Parts: sequence; structure tokens; C-alpha cells
Amino acid sequence: MAVFEDPEGHELAALAQLLPSFAGLRVLEIGAGDGRLTRRYAEQAASIVAIDPDADDIAVLRDELPHVDARAIGVADLTLPDASVDVVLFAWSL
Amino acid sequence: MAIEGMVDALRRARRWVRPQGCVIDLHPTAMVPTIDVGGQVIGFVETPDGPARHAAADAAVEDVIRQRLFVRTASSMFDFYTWADSVDELREHIEESWCDAGVVVHAAGRGRARVRERVRAAKLLVAGDLD
Repeated sequence: MAVFEDPEGHELAALAQLLPSFAGLRVLEIGAGDGRLTRRYAEQAASIVAIDPDADDIAVLRDELPHVDARAIGVADLTLPDASVDVVLFAWSL
Repeated sequence: MAIEGMVDALRRARRWVRPQGCVIDLHPTAMVPTIDVGGQVIGFVETPDGPARHAAADAAVEDVIRQRLFVRTASSMFDFYTWADSVDELREHIEESWCDAGVVVHAAGRGRARVRERVRAAKLLVAGDLD
């Protein structure tokens, strides 16, 4: 089955309007899923913590993007130091 | 996630982001996703709590702005399309990968099909960072 998500690039364009570059940024992505969005900026960011409660999706993300700190947890279970990231990205997760 | 959980998540984000950092929120609007073939709408995606959940996300963002935890500095809307080679393939994908979703089709359609979701994007800064 061939399914294509956002081949028009509307999501990335909207994201780029809000945040023109991820270069050098420490990112926390909440609701990362299998990394559909993460992989679009992963090479630019300085570091990424990606969380999602779906363990299967996080396993896919971890396999594809081993440098990402991927955790199969929800936001309520995440512990991070205060003021430790540059960007928090809610990826369709609110 | 109920609205209280969403507000709590935004409060946590406020703690984790450094001064002058930002929160980016992407979430679908409460508009029901439609299915079209060749530009003609032939159905929609039914989710039991989708519109209510997305409206709650809107309300949560408005709540933290009203509480002066964040300031919204930019926002936009866009269409997110998911394409498949046929309505049946699209239906299979949606029913497999969306939570409790069903596809309702009220007209025949041949050829590539797509589902359209209307998505809101916003950039939030910690209130006070702009002072």
C-alpha cells in the first residue's frame, strides 16, 4: 500500500515560517510517533529528545534515527532539567 | 488528552524551554477531515472524539495565553493531505493508523484519493521574554 503524507510540503512550510532553522537547537518533540516529522529536521538540530507513548512507533524512530534520545513515555512522565531545551515541539499531540 | 492534561503539558513545556526559546504547536482544527477524489469531496473521516479533542487543544492554548504564561507571536493554518492510490487504500490506512477512526463514503470515486486535514500552527514564547 502506497500512502504519501503531505507530499506538498505544507507542514514543513508552515513550520519553517515559525522556525526558519533547527540548526544548533536542542529540541524536545512531544508526540513524535514514528519520527515522521523528526526526520525532517534531525540532521540540523544539536540534540533531540523525542517522546511518544506508543512503544512501537518509538522503536521505529529509534531504529531510523539512533542519535535521537527517543523515549516511549507520555509528557506527564518526562523529566528534564528546567530551561534545558531551545524548542518544544508539540507534534499533533495536544 | 483532556484539556487539563493539555494545559499541564504546556505548563511543563514552559519550564523546559530556556529563556528566549519557543514552543511550537501543530494540531488539527476541529474541522472534520474530508476525503476527495479528483477534487470532488466524496466522504469524510469519522472519529468519535476528534473534533472535541482538537477544540480542547485550541482552548488549552488560549487558556495558557489568558493566564499570561505564553504569548503567541505567530500562527497560521495549512492543509495536510494524505494520498493513496484509491479510496480503499486510503480507508485501510486510516482505519489502521488513526485512533478509532472510520471512513464514511457517500459517492463512488475512482483514482487517487486524499484526506484533507486542516491544521493550526502556532509559535508561543514565554510571557515576559519579549519585555
